[in-house]
Amino acid sequence: MSDRGSNSSNISKSNNSYSGCSKYSGRSSQGSYLPLQAEIVDIDVESPNTYLISLVLPSGVDFSYKPGQFVMVSVFGLGECPISITSTPTRGSLQLCIRRAGRITNGIMDARIGDVLGIRGPCGNGFPLNRMKKDILIAGGGSGFATLRSLINYIVDRRNSFGKVAVAYGARTRQDLYFMQEYKGWQQAGIDVSVTVDIGDEGWKGNVGMVPALIDKFNLLAGSAAICGPSVMINAVAAKLMARGFDHSDIYVSMERHMKCGVGKCEHCCIGPYHACQDGPVFTYDVVKEVL
Amino acid sequence: MEKILTTCVYCGCGCGLYLHVDGGRVVGVSPSRKSAASKGRLCIKGWLSGDFVNHPDRLSYPMIRKGERQLRASWDEALSLVASSLTGMDPSAVGVLTSAKGTNEENYLFSKLARAGFKTNNVDHVARLCHAPTVTGLSYAFGSGATTNPISSLEEADAILVVGSNTTEQHPLVASYVLKARSKGTKLIVVDPRRTQIASLADIHISPRPGTDVAWINSLLNVIIKQGLADQDFITKRTMGFEAVKESVLSYAPEIVETICGVPAGVLREAALAYGSADKASIIYAMGITQHITGTDNVQALANLALATGNLGRPGTGLYPLRGHQNVQGACDMGALPDLYPGYQKVVDANARAKFEKGWSTKLPKVPGLTAVEMIQSAETGKIKGLLIIGENPMVSYPDRSSVRRALEKLEFLAVCDIFPTETSKLADAVLPAASFAEKEGTFTSTERRIQRIRKATDPPGESRSEWEVAAELLRRLGVPGDYSSPADIMEEISSLAPNYGGVTYHRLGAAGLQWPCPTRDHPGTEIMHIEKFPIGLARFRPVDHMEPAEGPDGEYPLLLTTGRCLYHFHTSTMTRRSPLLDREVPSPFVEVNPEDASRAGLRNGQKALVETRRGQLQLEVKVSPGVPRGILFVPFHFSEAPANLLTGAFLDPSSKIPELKISAARLRKVSP
Amino acid sequence: MKAFLPKENLIPWLKDLSSSLEVIAPVDVEGEVVYQTWKGQPPVLIGNTLSSPIEVLMPRTDVLFRYVQDSGRYTFDEPNVPTRVVVGMKPCDLKAVAILDRIFGSEPTDRPYLAKRRSTLLISLNCTDPGPRCFCAIMGSGPGSLEGFDLTLTDLGSGYLAEAGSAAGVLLIKGCSSGLFLEADGSHEASRDILLEKARSVMAEKYEDRSVEHLRRAIRSADWEYLGRQCLSCGGCSFICPVCHCFSIADLGVPDGERVRCRDTCLLSGFSRMTSGANPLRSIGEMMRNWYLDKFEHLPERTGLIGCVGCGRCDEICLAQIDRWRLEVLDERSR
Repeated sequence: MSDRGSNSSNISKSNNSYSGCSKYSGRSSQGSYLPLQAEIVDIDVESPNTYLISLVLPSGVDFSYKPGQFVMVSVFGLGECPISITSTPTRGSLQLCIRRAGRITNGIMDARIGDVLGIRGPCGNGFPLNRMKKDILIAGGGSGFATLRSLINYIVDRRNSFGKVAVAYGARTRQDLYFMQEYKGWQQAGIDVSVTVDIGDEGWKGNVGMVPALIDKFNLLAGSAAICGPSVMINAVAAKLMARGFDHSDIYVSMERHMKCGVGKCEHCCIGPYHACQDGPVFTYDVVKEVL
Repeated sequence: MEKILTTCVYCGCGCGLYLHVDGGRVVGVSPSRKSAASKGRLCIKGWLSGDFVNHPDRLSYPMIRKGERQLRASWDEALSLVASSLTGMDPSAVGVLTSAKGTNEENYLFSKLARAGFKTNNVDHVARLCHAPTVTGLSYAFGSGATTNPISSLEEADAILVVGSNTTEQHPLVASYVLKARSKGTKLIVVDPRRTQIASLADIHISPRPGTDVAWINSLLNVIIKQGLADQDFITKRTMGFEAVKESVLSYAPEIVETICGVPAGVLREAALAYGSADKASIIYAMGITQHITGTDNVQALANLALATGNLGRPGTGLYPLRGHQNVQGACDMGALPDLYPGYQKVVDANARAKFEKGWSTKLPKVPGLTAVEMIQSAETGKIKGLLIIGENPMVSYPDRSSVRRALEKLEFLAVCDIFPTETSKLADAVLPAASFAEKEGTFTSTERRIQRIRKATDPPGESRSEWEVAAELLRRLGVPGDYSSPADIMEEISSLAPNYGGVTYHRLGAAGLQWPCPTRDHPGTEIMHIEKFPIGLARFRPVDHMEPAEGPDGEYPLLLTTGRCLYHFHTSTMTRRSPLLDREVPSPFVEVNPEDASRAGLRNGQKALVETRRGQLQLEVKVSPGVPRGILFVPFHFSEAPANLLTGAFLDPSSKIPELKISAARLRKVSP
Repeated sequence: MKAFLPKENLIPWLKDLSSSLEVIAPVDVEGEVVYQTWKGQPPVLIGNTLSSPIEVLMPRTDVLFRYVQDSGRYTFDEPNVPTRVVVGMKPCDLKAVAILDRIFGSEPTDRPYLAKRRSTLLISLNCTDPGPRCFCAIMGSGPGSLEGFDLTLTDLGSGYLAEAGSAAGVLLIKGCSSGLFLEADGSHEASRDILLEKARSVMAEKYEDRSVEHLRRAIRSADWEYLGRQCLSCGGCSFICPVCHCFSIADLGVPDGERVRCRDTCLLSGFSRMTSGANPLRSIGEMMRNWYLDKFEHLPERTGLIGCVGCGRCDEICLAQIDRWRLEVLDERSR
């Protein structure tokens, strides 16, 4: 990592307003908007427009995170956007699941192994593991499943801390399903996994239909639920769960909002008096059902 | 930390604002309380008018083409090339397109450069695409083609007729006055095929078939005359030619016009009574009236209406042609026109020519030149060989883009002076980097004829220079006498030659500016025009008849494509797309489609559609819009990656040479995935 | 600590200050009073400016850092923060500073704001001449300065009563040339109290129908869709409000450039629109209602502070004919 030193005089027109050599060449610190620089060490193709990117943070950085948290990812020159963390903190490198959606995600998709991305975080509250019940139902639709994978793999690594765990997941077509190579491992860890697609094809032998329909197939005990996906899906799943005895304050929803700062200052991600980036993105269903 | 008082760079409202400067750069904007029209308010673009100034894309050094590439050059090399290339051609083969975004001083010097320097009258600017019919139409009718009353006068109107103006999006300050009048009881009549925001707030919204404006305006006049609402006293004392018009509108009874325009006769009567029975009524109009092959006739029709009801020369009355660019009025005033010298003095008038030959110490060409679109068409045929284009982007804003490209590529020499690289500058042989409005002194003239100062807030980036300096240097190189050490000097010269600006000096331009006509140093400026008499003495009526558009829908292309703008972007959006907030609001091109038309084409919101005309095709995202009538497609022309003008045709109004940008025959198809 | 500054000593005192700090004062520029770096002209210490001096702490555009790329890795440079003193800030704007201090100072803190806050001294001017739209007294943010100032001044006619609110404020008095400040006594304070009470009662009488409760009722009963139809989307209310602080972040420049934050407005649909195109606020009416709820319900719930300081600027700036307090459009005709 090169250091610009006192060469900052040729940086900008109003060069006298800069502090010269920065102590912060990469280090993210409390209250600062300076990102860490994380190197891309692996890129896996999850679906035609989604990559699974593995990152390594600079050494010596304490980046402990919880499932359900997210990071603000920078492509310098294009900007920053919030991306859920898809890896579990209990193993390996930081992983992000990037879906082609706008300018910045398109920019990330153009990056190669060895390039760096800016990372600020971890942001948000994550799933409140110590408050959640031992029996957990996880329901995800579409790209929202990326954040739930963090929770699932955490549960696999800490299996004894949890009881009955079930996963219901759906995507538009088979090609859009994420993490297919991991389902078997989850099942082997004693997690009940049920997957569906909206539109089937010849090669698909599994469920065809919506995620809420999968809920009926589970033999569930009223526990906690973690849901992420389109509003319609969240509401339908929550209704079924509450009919089965889940309390609405035990149903945890990961909410999506337009975010800029990730630290509760820019006011873009407000949900009532809450900031989705600080008080969320995980909220209980009773708090967010009005806005879904 | 400093605050510099200046005038907004976007539209013709001319709102005053302070640029906030910190560390030598523009960091923000706030409104000026003392600004005559805006009185401490701004629209969203005004608030964000400082955003593009520091953008890294700013052109900062001259470039000269070498083969496929444009390479950095010195000012001396670039200006030498411009001067020698253009003077090496026959004057009739040279053209200058000046900038409606440039200052008065700059427009004046470039028009002088064309005439006194290159000896050509081929000088024009984008008024040709917007209010050329106002200039030709109202010059004939009144002797002056500008807004007759100040914007604030709208507050006193009892009725306001808004035609072909999406006022809340294009001139929010004017809309603010209209809404204020409305809340005090003023009757609001809006005529626009689309149900825009101002249309939805109107008492009467008329949605005519595009291209039938002469017909419905004549029908209003028909009813007004029949109901005895014409102002006979005014007609007798202040006008001539009424009888011919009275005769001609007899055949425009609402019941007949209903079949031409598609507007129910009852609604036409209601509108006629609302306008005709008001004591003070104003007419606001914009591109919906002018951008037609009958643009000049449309303007005359509105003039006929105002004259017949005596709605001129008093507060609360008048005609408001809303000028688009912040200085397109000034560009016209400064004679950046092929047939008019500064101050609207005619090139064919020997006395006027003698005056300018004396004032500029040189001989001047006698024959009026080509208009803007004609210059492009002539470039395509090889008649025009060299163009100097300042602050204009014909590749995106002129009709029939494919032919614009062929024309510009065929030129032997093209020089472009601008603040950002554009589709047009990329074709140039010489590119000259210009200073923006925040980086120079000068004046702009707003749509209400108000001449206001702009002041320098920050230095231009790199080696870029003010256009007045570029023009002055070229004039020097061409041996044209004139020594200008500042824009104030240039204004001294302007005021000596253009009677309307006779009393204008920088000293006198306080926060309220000066409204022309301002003929002498002690004249306070003119708020309301035509109070006692018109510049031509008696105003002129002229009968006008309905004519079908050049290219209406037919069997092959059954839909009607109309183009326009949105609030968040300005013209070819070179500045607005470089503002983070404005770009975020409307990031990409689209086509507005009526719900039934969409459903028939199998299209839903957000899907991609192919819009085709005889000139070309574009893939655009569909926005299903109930406000758009059946059979009409609306496409904004801001986006260079999907330029609406790829689809439009260069069908010109014979008098004003404005192209019919508002009507093209089109068809719509779903894009197969 | 209290002292008295005779009027003729104001400019010498500012000259003194400007020898070690950048002084930001309200001065006349082309006929209007605006805040800018003081260069010796007489400051205009009456009325209030349209653009709040809170922009010294929260500028419209603020460079967060510059990024420079070298072999695929970046170095960052944060801009220097100048040391400044703002002279003449009115209590309403001062209260807005207190609100921003609470928001940006709560964890996780906002360093760019705090860096400016810590290097800016605030000399407030108590309000003895409320403007036609001012209602700070109703909102509990004036006419006297309550907290957050280093020094506060009250215009007693022949001079200013100066009261320090911090150690730095004491230094502003003690550290300048001797003789500029005189001793203050009970009569000065009594005059101050009379003037402030007069200002307070002027506002209380004029706006006796205004209260936070009244506005909360108006929020509940307003026809938001109708108001939204009038709105011209200028964003002026949120740009001019000293409490509004929402911002967007953008990168300018590739491969080297600047990451800037710029003031934003929740009255534009892109503010809350997500990349998918979905938008929790579906109309201008909803956005307007959200703006009011944020100030009068949500912010108080989060911080205990009301998000309005009674400066009246939003009324002055509105391009549409919306009464910003009654939340209606005065229309002589039936709707």
